[in-house]
Amino acid sequence: MPRLSPPRADALSKATGAERYAFDVLPEGCLHAGAYRPGAALGVAHGRVRGVDASAALAVPGVLRVLTAADVPGPNLHGIMHKDQPVLCGEVIRHAGDPVALLLAETPEALRAGLAAMRADIEPLPGVFDPEAALKRGAPLVHQGRKDGNLLLRAVIEKGKAKAALKAAAVVVRGEFSTPVQEHAFLETQCGVAQMLPDGILHMTLSTQSPFRDRFEIGGALGLDPFKIRIRAPHLGGGFGGKDGATVQCLLGLAALNTGGKPVRMAWDREESILAGFKRHAVRLRCALGAEADGTLTVFDCRMLFDTGAYAHLGGEVMELSMEHASGPYRVPHVRVEGRCVYTNNPIAGAFRGFGVAQASPAFEGLMDELAAKLGLDPLALRRKNALTRGDENCSGVRLTGSTDLCACLDAVAGHPFWTGREDWRKSAPPFTRRGVGLAAVFNGMGYGRGLPDMAIAKVELTEAGEFLVYNAVADMGQGNASAFALLAAQELNQEAASVGLVMPDTERCHPSGSSSAGRSTYTFGNALVRACAALRHKLISRAAMPFLCDTLDGLELEPGRVVHRPTGRAMPLSVLARFLPHDDRICVAEFLMPVAQDISGSARGFMIGFPHLLFAYAAHLARIELDELTGRVRVCDYVCATDGGRVLTRQGFDQQAQGGAAQGIGFALFEDFRLDQGRTLTSDLTRYLIPTALDVPDTVSLAVDGCEDSGPHGLKGVGEVGLNGPAPAIASALRHCAGLRLRQLPFTPERLLKALSKARPAKARRSA
Amino acid sequence: MMLLFRLNGQSVEVETAPDRRAVDLLRDLGAPHPDVKDVKEGCGTGECGACSVLVDGVHRLSCLMLAAQLAGREVVTASGLGSEAAPHAIQRAFADHGAVQCGFCTPGMAVAAAALLQDNMAPGREDIRRAISGNLCRCTGYVMIVDAIEAAAGKMRSDPSALHEERVASRKAAKSSRKATMPSRKKAGKS
Amino acid sequence: MKVLTPRELPELFAALETPGAHMLAGGTDLLVRLRAAEREGRALPQALVRLDGVAVLRGIVREADGSLRLGAAATHAELLAHPLLRQELPELAAALCELGSPPIRNMGTLGGNICTASPAGDSLPPLMALGAEVELASLAGTRRMALSDFITGPGRTSLKPGEVLTAVIAPPARNFQVRHFEKVGRRGALAVAVVSLAALVRLERGRVAEARLAWGSVGPTVWRCPEAEAALMGQRLTLTALGRVGAIVRENVRPIDDIRASADYRRQVAGNLLLRLAVL
Repeated sequence: MPRLSPPRADALSKATGAERYAFDVLPEGCLHAGAYRPGAALGVAHGRVRGVDASAALAVPGVLRVLTAADVPGPNLHGIMHKDQPVLCGEVIRHAGDPVALLLAETPEALRAGLAAMRADIEPLPGVFDPEAALKRGAPLVHQGRKDGNLLLRAVIEKGKAKAALKAAAVVVRGEFSTPVQEHAFLETQCGVAQMLPDGILHMTLSTQSPFRDRFEIGGALGLDPFKIRIRAPHLGGGFGGKDGATVQCLLGLAALNTGGKPVRMAWDREESILAGFKRHAVRLRCALGAEADGTLTVFDCRMLFDTGAYAHLGGEVMELSMEHASGPYRVPHVRVEGRCVYTNNPIAGAFRGFGVAQASPAFEGLMDELAAKLGLDPLALRRKNALTRGDENCSGVRLTGSTDLCACLDAVAGHPFWTGREDWRKSAPPFTRRGVGLAAVFNGMGYGRGLPDMAIAKVELTEAGEFLVYNAVADMGQGNASAFALLAAQELNQEAASVGLVMPDTERCHPSGSSSAGRSTYTFGNALVRACAALRHKLISRAAMPFLCDTLDGLELEPGRVVHRPTGRAMPLSVLARFLPHDDRICVAEFLMPVAQDISGSARGFMIGFPHLLFAYAAHLARIELDELTGRVRVCDYVCATDGGRVLTRQGFDQQAQGGAAQGIGFALFEDFRLDQGRTLTSDLTRYLIPTALDVPDTVSLAVDGCEDSGPHGLKGVGEVGLNGPAPAIASALRHCAGLRLRQLPFTPERLLKALSKARPAKARRSA
Repeated sequence: MMLLFRLNGQSVEVETAPDRRAVDLLRDLGAPHPDVKDVKEGCGTGECGACSVLVDGVHRLSCLMLAAQLAGREVVTASGLGSEAAPHAIQRAFADHGAVQCGFCTPGMAVAAAALLQDNMAPGREDIRRAISGNLCRCTGYVMIVDAIEAAAGKMRSDPSALHEERVASRKAAKSSRKATMPSRKKAGKS
Repeated sequence: MKVLTPRELPELFAALETPGAHMLAGGTDLLVRLRAAEREGRALPQALVRLDGVAVLRGIVREADGSLRLGAAATHAELLAHPLLRQELPELAAALCELGSPPIRNMGTLGGNICTASPAGDSLPPLMALGAEVELASLAGTRRMALSDFITGPGRTSLKPGEVLTAVIAPPARNFQVRHFEKVGRRGALAVAVVSLAALVRLERGRVAEARLAWGSVGPTVWRCPEAEAALMGQRLTLTALGRVGAIVRENVRPIDDIRASADYRRQVAGNLLLRLAVL
């Protein structure tokens, strides 16, 4: 069992059920709001709204109002990069989850009855559900009047001369890969509470990853002053990217404008969460990887096609990050990556942990295995030979000046008994079973990238009682950044952890610090906080000098609960010192801006913002699996991840990210089979959309490669995302090892595996020894 | 109907529609009873386990129960197992062993663990995994949850007195009077 | 909806006379369906009649002829906790072990699993292979019929208005040496069967003297394959023999596509699962 780290500050309150999430906020007299989304029931994903009939709904006792697009006071459009998504659709629905009305009711029961009584007249329009079809001439247009039709974004990365290098390469391996939509399936669905108070401020408590940006989304869509919106973000019941952007935000804002000042709650049920929430983009990739005969990579060429669904949301940005990672964590001199991101009438895609990278990793790692097989090289040795190290140029031509410890990750798994014993494992398979061990090397960029300042502003206060308060401005969706901040502050201020309190994100009390995303939370805000704490420490020592009658600061130190003057041994409790200081003087604020790559040798066209990145986390994963020949079922028996996240702040928090990411990645690889038919979601609830249970994932072992990222707080890098990128390629690699299968379409369902097995070894099942 | 039952050691008497879902009733009991917001809802269809409660010591899902089915029963939720001031050994272990991330599944997970440890004081890791297989967690990958339950079982076997003190404290806090939700000593002796 | 809580059978029968009444056993399926009905604005029952308060509907009893009488309102967990179940009906125990999840097994009942009559009902293939009967009671009296006759289609049974499934009677099967159940689901718990197989095989001098094979999730109800059972007669349970019978199964089975698997997959696996009998 791993050694114990100090428990997270939020752990006990959550374990005893005392923690209050946005889901749990239910003020006295609270009304209930719900969106009417007619597409799913009518089987229409693209249609003209001819009429909305609320008469039966309004006849339901307890239903108070039914609002439609005509009731939206502002431009009725939101979207992080492109304002293309209506709060309520008035003319057209573009996917099966688009809302056309918002109901307000006195009770949840009345709301449900009212929603069931709503009717809409939707004239079906020809829809487009395949991204390739969407690009064809004459394809139905998801948004009218766009110069590029259904093409949201096309971008190209070019470094060196890929075309010539492909011709010249001693060996080239090619493949077409596809990855599916993935549902976040956070346990707490999208939810929040809003109330317009008499002071004209719209108060909201939301389950959100981006409270500061939400104000502008809501204000922009509803024509409100964003600075008259106050948003609080308590602990989230999971986010993983799916609560980055407006989910309930604008609808709740609209509701609160129509309740006569009463509070109003909106909580999507699971079906609505799956119908209307953001998803991971489905992606198709066509790639070629070339190398010299000794395995030295020379060229990577790739085309990617992203289905962003009905609205842009973060489609372009996800694609950009995917492109930046397309050729893997390897030195490749010649690279060409072309990406296209396309509108369809499918559900809206957006951010999901591993933001585009999880879609690229099965392809680059699949080709590495293919190359190793073709050249007769050890797959791990091939990866190590080409692995990026500090000082190398990556595929975008960024010189990696930060910590780049992929080799150490590979070395950690190379010596692991699961790897060294992989042939014994394969040979020990019981009847009707294949056993294999697979490997993957992955990485994930950190932060927003160039063009969007990745900044955080931390505030720390000495309270009147002589304790400390950290104003956490980055939502904690469960990854534990809030607790990490308390710990960092305690270390910087030399205090007991218990004497550091936390304010959770509140746009009125905290400073804008960006979203909880991109593996940036602990790095960027942590850096700002370390600076703020250093300033406060200096200030407190300085202020103590006066009552101590010291004419220099030498010998003054901040200790737990007090300032001491070493030479004389005198001490002043912080509770006393605090009383000397006016409130403003007990506060320090500091900011941090993540460094970005300044010059790149490659060229990139079409990018909006967020390219390229300078800092990356790396990992090497091992999967030990069993494949049942009779059913095609896979069991992941053991899993190991070795992760380079710079210096480890708390081992427990680090391992939590590694194990949790691996489990979501295993779900992505094997279980989660998001199914659509003409834009309708068939996997419409958790009975049909299957995420792993405790019986489906192994005791994942997390190994830490203890490096140091000099720019990070205490040397750390963000490790929230990288873990998700490994399982799909590692499991694919294990399936190749155990049965020679070349799987390029995710997820690896029993059905696909059985079919692949019968092709690999036709006729009847054999009995392996 | 007027519904009478016991909730976390206290008598509850509340007017409710008999077909109200138990999860809705528990989360919004209304004055003078404290709401038990620790009973979460994640799916409403019995697939996630976030609404897990013990009913007469049996692990059940409150999203698939009606208010009327609570009549005369003893209901225990995570907040009835222990509090921050006096946590149950399972809750303490969840915190110590990193079993909590977003925490939304955690109250239900603690209830599932409590149900397991009533019957089996020395579960193996597979037993634990089976026992929590109706409780989905999207954050942790379950490893540290299994670690925590294993550790809690060990602690409860080796140090029943510490556990007892915790129980006394939390029961005092809850002014509980009736039957405990904890494993009986007899079963504890089995290990 | 009114909720009625009878304690004795006469009370139960009276309650079922309530207009628009629907029986509520464990609720693990019914309440999910009522939720969907409510969301879609479909009519709900006017009253739910609880079965969990009727003590006589629970428990396991061994009857004089060695059959086991399983109370229809006994939960899966109650049945699993009973020593007689694992001892006498290991294939049913194996199926119930994999049904749903621990809380679902604590709530769901055997009678509920039968009356839901899902093609994927986990208890159904083993009960069919065992040749189980159901006992039905109403004010008009009690009748018994074969489970295979009771279930008439997906979601359809021979239960008459006012009638209650009171017990399931499983005849003894001790003379079958091979007693096997396998469920192929998409994950380790909370999984709906994609294909399942219950197999009872009686051997004489190592050769099959009687085979009862029952598949779940490959047809509208549990599917039997007399051709395959006949083809196994006189055979040893070798890979070759089972492979041949598997081919017969694949020829005869008529599964459908749904969200969990294609018909092709089900057909393939329905045959493949027989091979497991060679390595038990």
